Amino acid sequence: METLREIFSLFRNSLCISLLVGLVCPLVGVFLVLRRLIFLGVALPQVSSCGIAAAFALHTLHIIPHLEGSTEHSLAFMGSSVFTLGAIAALSALERRGGGLVDGRIGTAYVLAGAWSILLLVKNPHGEHGLLERLKGEIIAVSNADLALTGITFGVVTAVLLVFRKELLLVSFDREMALTLRKNVRVWDLVLFGAIGLTVSMSVLSVGPLVTFGFLLIPPLMAHLLAKTMWQFMLLASAIGVAAAFIGFILAYRWDLPVGPTDVALLGVIYGATFFGKKLCRRSLALKRPAH
Amino acid sequence: MAVARGSGTLAPVLLHAKDTNATDDSLVRLDGVAVGYDRHAVLRDIHFRLRRGSFTGLLGANGSGKTTLLKTLLGILPPVAGRVKYEGDNRVPTFGYVPQRESLDSIFLFTSLEVALMGVYGRVKPGRTIEAAEREWVRECLRKAGAVETERQRFSELSGGQKQRVLIARALAAKPDFLVLDEPTTGLDPAAAQSIIDLLQAIHREGKLTLLMVSHDLLTVRRYVQEVIWVHQGKIEQGRAEDLLTRRKIEEVLGLEWS
Repeated sequence: METLREIFSLFRNSLCISLLVGLVCPLVGVFLVLRRLIFLGVALPQVSSCGIAAAFALHTLHIIPHLEGSTEHSLAFMGSSVFTLGAIAALSALERRGGGLVDGRIGTAYVLAGAWSILLLVKNPHGEHGLLERLKGEIIAVSNADLALTGITFGVVTAVLLVFRKELLLVSFDREMALTLRKNVRVWDLVLFGAIGLTVSMSVLSVGPLVTFGFLLIPPLMAHLLAKTMWQFMLLASAIGVAAAFIGFILAYRWDLPVGPTDVALLGVIYGATFFGKKLCRRSLALKRPAH
Repeated sequence: MAVARGSGTLAPVLLHAKDTNATDDSLVRLDGVAVGYDRHAVLRDIHFRLRRGSFTGLLGANGSGKTTLLKTLLGILPPVAGRVKYEGDNRVPTFGYVPQRESLDSIFLFTSLEVALMGVYGRVKPGRTIEAAEREWVRECLRKAGAVETERQRFSELSGGQKQRVLIARALAAKPDFLVLDEPTTGLDPAAAQSIIDLLQAIHREGKLTLLMVSHDLLTVRRYVQEVIWVHQGKIEQGRAEDLLTRRKIEEVLGLEWS
């Protein structure tokens, strides 16, 4: 209890942002898993962090001027969003044109974004301080304004995913059926990938790429093992994300560890336990069944 | 019988399909349409019509362009050239589409009822929930298709025949003018395939629906469909089943030799 009290008094905003990431990233990740775009869930956070590094580099070079009232957070959000949504648009356009390997394009985006993030950081005086920590997933200093912006963005994304769940699932499950029902599949794709892009941008900005792809992928994969319906799949993914974010934060505080990597390591432990637990359950059920 | 020209081949006779001014009971009509992908035509200069209330088999060897033609009729693919014309006022009919069941990913944890409910999405505005009356209608469609007992089961865990029944129920839930089925009996055991065909025949008889079915099951097609469209070497040939499903024709199109 004492630990919790300390966390709430010292790191209330950091804990809130962790919980928001734990709630919303898995919900978005469900659609990445359903569309079998897991690699995209790995590449986009990397592209997003490259966008942050690029925005700071351009700012340092005075190509992006300092605007009155603008903060470091809004500059980073701009870079992150432009790169993430731009990467989604470019990958979609290439997919429509056909040819080549989808995985190859996503993999290329991942390594190039990783390399450019490092190159842009090493030549940037900001890189030694806040920026590097931001990309490492150190969730320590979160202002009220940052928390509000994250909360509003994630609120909009969650509302869109839940309100238009029916349409987004239809175009993901049976695109051709959606076309015969005269649904505008391109618009629904745009809505879905816009929501994915915004979530990734905001999450990378708040907790870094490692934690973002950890929460995008591991909770949905775990929930898929346990869920029986689509609603359970979505709710379980988010519930696992929130629980891991909360417990991870407490463990990181108590053992003086960085929060992001602790969260992801914890998710890995829970995933492993779930996987083997389910296997054991199946085996014991099979043994209980009478032999014919 | 209507025949379209394929690339570089001369067409035989063209009968009713060319006669575009005739008052008829066509639901869909193609006059000089080319179908394909990315502006590359797979079939050119296609002429045929589908009569309202007819049961037609769309046949041809693998890779002949049947599915491309089917997708163009459904509006999934735009024609490379020409236009697909629909009855009198050119109103696009309501389609009931039954895709190949293997094309649906088993990663989705939908129940049978949830899959069948998709049929009514065309009448439900974005973001709105499905009304109780529509749900009851979908249950009625599942009942009609003989799949109501599976409504709570996971769709991906059903047998091939059960999945097909749920997909037919989904197509019926759309209240279609035109039911289009892509290889509904492929991969089913003979008993299951027969029961699906019996179901389709009952739907056709009761609902006076226009049915178009892609199939490789020539025996079934011969026994049940009224009209046949052969897709062969870039050509379309349409006619009555008894005329176009002769042994000689099948041997010619599929390169088979029956003893």
